[in-house]
Amino acid sequence: MADSLIQVDRLFKSYGGVHALENVTLDLRAGEVHALCGENGAGKSTLIKILSGVIAPDSGEVRIDGRPLPAGKVHATEDAGVVAMHQESTVFPDLDAVDNLFVGRELRRWGGLLLDRSAMRKQTSDLLAQLGEDIDPTRPVGELPIAQRQMVAMARALSRDCRLLIMDEPTASLSGRETEFLLQLVRKFCEQGVAVLYVSHRLEEVFQIADRVTVLRDGRLVETRDISSINTDDLIRMMVGREGAELVGRQARTGSFGGDVLRVNNLRRDGVFEDVSFTVRAGEVVGLAGLVGAGRSEVARALFGIGPCDGGTITVAGQELPTGSVAKAMACGLALVPEDRQHEGLVLPMSVGANLSLAVLRSLTRNGFVSNRLEQELAEHQIAALSVRTAGTAAAAETLSGGNQQKLVVGKWLASRPRVLILDEPTRGVDVGAKAQLHRLIRRLADEGMATLMISSELPEILSVSDRILVIREGRISGELDGVNATPEQVLALALPDEREVAVPS
Amino acid sequence: MNALADIAIKLLRQREVGLVLLILLVTAIVSLVDPGFLDDRNLKDILVRSAPTVIVACGVMLVVVTAEIDISVGSLMALLAALMGLMISHNEWQLSMWIGIPTVLLCGTLIGLLTGALVTLGNVPSIIVTLGLLTAIRGATTLLMGGENIDGLPDELQTLSKVGPAGMPLGVWTAVAVLIVTQIIITHTPLGRRLFALGSSDYSARMTGLSATRLKLFAFAYTGFLTALATVVDVPRLPKIESGIGSGFELLVVTCVVVGGVSIAGGRGRLGGVVLSVILLTMVRPVLTFLDVGEAGEKWTKAIQGLFILIAVITDTVVSRSRRGGARNTSSRGTQVAVPRDATGGPAA
Repeated sequence: MADSLIQVDRLFKSYGGVHALENVTLDLRAGEVHALCGENGAGKSTLIKILSGVIAPDSGEVRIDGRPLPAGKVHATEDAGVVAMHQESTVFPDLDAVDNLFVGRELRRWGGLLLDRSAMRKQTSDLLAQLGEDIDPTRPVGELPIAQRQMVAMARALSRDCRLLIMDEPTASLSGRETEFLLQLVRKFCEQGVAVLYVSHRLEEVFQIADRVTVLRDGRLVETRDISSINTDDLIRMMVGREGAELVGRQARTGSFGGDVLRVNNLRRDGVFEDVSFTVRAGEVVGLAGLVGAGRSEVARALFGIGPCDGGTITVAGQELPTGSVAKAMACGLALVPEDRQHEGLVLPMSVGANLSLAVLRSLTRNGFVSNRLEQELAEHQIAALSVRTAGTAAAAETLSGGNQQKLVVGKWLASRPRVLILDEPTRGVDVGAKAQLHRLIRRLADEGMATLMISSELPEILSVSDRILVIREGRISGELDGVNATPEQVLALALPDEREVAVPS
Repeated sequence: MNALADIAIKLLRQREVGLVLLILLVTAIVSLVDPGFLDDRNLKDILVRSAPTVIVACGVMLVVVTAEIDISVGSLMALLAALMGLMISHNEWQLSMWIGIPTVLLCGTLIGLLTGALVTLGNVPSIIVTLGLLTAIRGATTLLMGGENIDGLPDELQTLSKVGPAGMPLGVWTAVAVLIVTQIIITHTPLGRRLFALGSSDYSARMTGLSATRLKLFAFAYTGFLTALATVVDVPRLPKIESGIGSGFELLVVTCVVVGGVSIAGGRGRLGGVVLSVILLTMVRPVLTFLDVGEAGEKWTKAIQGLFILIAVITDTVVSRSRRGGARNTSSRGTQVAVPRDATGGPAA
């Protein structure tokens, strides 16, 4: 093919006898956005690591313009024009933007001995300006908001002479508008002839931006297709390799609710959110939509007593809940599945069983000691109930895939038999199959009478799971929609900051 | 009031400011009790005593910046002092000190390199490696010295410790030179930036193609070299070399690095804070002497130095808590910069 820029030729890679990649071949063309899809564990990360030179394949090679890329060498790979933006965490939080951009390939003077700080600073400001970001290049990047951190990572990629840009889940922590902005940037690079390999779990993004899509499953190539020749269902089928893994249908809802379980009145945190009032009924899933930064997570954290709150009342089943105490929130029957499951939801090195029992340890004690038998029973019960895929109750939580880790966090909180379950981005970074399972789980819990408050940045998730949708804009509830009839456009209209102050149709 | 508090917090966030204030405060109090504290000789003595600690702290700081630690420098100092003594003493091998000094520097560097190799290639946590070396090297020193003290050090070595430009002995100038070199490494070389990058996030460092092995080897080798240099600076001050030399030194150095504001988690720290904390901690003993607390003074030195660690760690926590609070505020509203609050709320009329 004339315009083929990168050829990936029969890559094999295995870890301890398990094939992570098996005979994967594909080509990337200059100026195209090529999406790479597959469930977690399908081999995407391995492929990206090989392409970007972090690891070397067992066999096979990658060629750029027909010349083989050096295997397993990040610097040489970057010099050849292949630059990767790994997942959000690949910045150095303690370093400023200048150092983040240039560390590893610093500009030098004095015969290469000393750094050329001023030249690096200038290039950094120029690049950030190109991206339309006004970031103080001397501030530690860890102190910047996530979206700006992402822009620093982007600028870092651009500071290389880039011919293939690999983007691994670049929008995982961005709001809708920030995502839109990033996608525009991606288009711009393509017009300049850069090839982009785009990895995302958000399928709507893939359809929005990709020219072609390659699907991996269990380390093998499924197919490379023109995006115009397939639809979402086709793509999901290719990824999961089985029928019936579709998202929960909107009609799966019963629509019969009990009384108010959670009542929130005028909840306020100065400068973050104000005048937040809503109720959640037994058996109801209330979706909390809005842009990242609109104050959704902060509301959830205030409810659970982890985050500060400056006023308002919270009532759980008629009982007023004092703010600012997790212990009291738990005693009242609240449970929060946090956004950052790896840090806040789980103790990764601890076993699956120990994680599941963590929130209810007291009830598992006999004579002051934790009963191994009770703990084991609880763990086995939860693993079965939530169909967690694990090597056993003794396996470390970190050995589980993202989706199964998330089920574990949910299981940990369900063990405390909560009345109200608060889920903050329950399926972020989770593969399609596990996502559908989690959605079904949320619905099942609701049918059993759980009052659920679900925060999500993914519109399809909000729309397909919620009975009722609350939208937060800039710390205020901007509207409420019926979950069954709401359209994505309606939610988005309520979520986006609106400078025009549209007259509300009565 | 709020603005004042903000400024105060911002200033105190700079570890150096707090340390300078503390040094000035202590100096003021002591010189009120006994003006002799401000005597040239005494101030010079504090600097001379600080010199070896400053030199080694420059190395250990770089190790800590990569999120590792080295607690073996006290024993290494003893071993190198014994080696140097054996080589140049009249009663032993009677070699020229111009052979002895380079040999000691070379040995220090090699042992540092070995430490680094055990940590990186052997993949053993540095606290364990250097804890083992702390004991093993101390044992090797005892064997080497055969239970005897080494005396008969040449006079020319002793004079080396007393002379120097501007009335300051060579040891102090050595420390100044090491400080300058280390500062240049930190702020002006790719190497220094990469050490901080590695400590800030080893995952990102791997994805960026930085070699953690090479960087850590450098940090440990540099520490070994500087420990040897500190030995060369310190030995001439001693009438004889005893096997107990340098014991506890490793903890003093780590204390200085931590009190100086270097994050034990890696990635953050400045040399200025380290130097100031060395001076502050070195002042503790002379201050107690001048306050004339008598016998008690000796006993209190360690307790007070230890107290500084606790104070440093607690202020660290308090300050970073207030900073994190600030960062969260900016991040939660940061995405809305395009729409100023007044634009949405104000012009309803």
